[in-house]
Amino acid sequence: MTARLLLLIILAQIALVSGQIFLKHGMNFTQTENMRYSPIIRNISAGILALTIWFLLWMGLMQKLDLSYLYPFEGMSPVLLVIATCIILKEKLDLRSWAGVCLIALGTFIVGTS
Amino acid sequence: MNSEQTPKNSASAELALPTGWLNPYLHLAINGLLVTVSELMLKCGAMETIKPDASLLLNIFGFSTLGSWWVWGGIACYILGFINWLHILRWIPLSLAFPLTSVVHVLIPLGSWFFLGEYINPMRWLGIALIIAGIWFIAKPLMWSEEAL
Repeated sequence: MTARLLLLIILAQIALVSGQIFLKHGMNFTQTENMRYSPIIRNISAGILALTIWFLLWMGLMQKLDLSYLYPFEGMSPVLLVIATCIILKEKLDLRSWAGVCLIALGTFIVGTS
Repeated sequence: MNSEQTPKNSASAELALPTGWLNPYLHLAINGLLVTVSELMLKCGAMETIKPDASLLLNIFGFSTLGSWWVWGGIACYILGFINWLHILRWIPLSLAFPLTSVVHVLIPLGSWFFLGEYINPMRWLGIALIIAGIWFIAKPLMWSEEAL
């Protein structure tokens, strides 16, 4: 695997994580505001844009690499996303849920590489 | 009666989760099914439309698959899944909802095995079991708190 492909994989992961965080940040406003509130529209649009970039990068990677190379990174995405969510959105996660996230990542890794 | 119009209290007060058909945990389960169904439909459509002699451009982007109704069904399920996902995000913390969507890594292999006749080796069964265990770890306390309400 070349450095360029690795960089593309990292970019795709960043796009996925930031897209989901934009969506969640936007939807958090819906607790207190109606759907026309402009920060909601702005965040959801940014989320859709980031997820579109993720989708295109990921499709391109799938054409170049075997799924068994890519799946371990797919397995990492819940871990990366949960870490980013705790830092950026200040969500709290207990130890039990962290254990669950790690089991899911390991399981996805095995499903992908077996 | 007009509880919809009353201004909702900020931060401190937690809003009650919607119940019945709008329950976000029900929608999380529906989301897993929608994504699985759309992946299986896309796979059916992709297999149905293989044309080895199509032009390079059509092959690279998979445009030829758009001729299949399976593919359009899959796309429709994906869009429904996205709307569904926004509803989930409104109520459930992202750090819980996103790991739980990994259920598709269980449902898709099972669906491919059951409907498409693909083979699952023992190692893959182990991975599926680990994912189910992880989901159980996250979901069990949530079910507990739901029962307490």
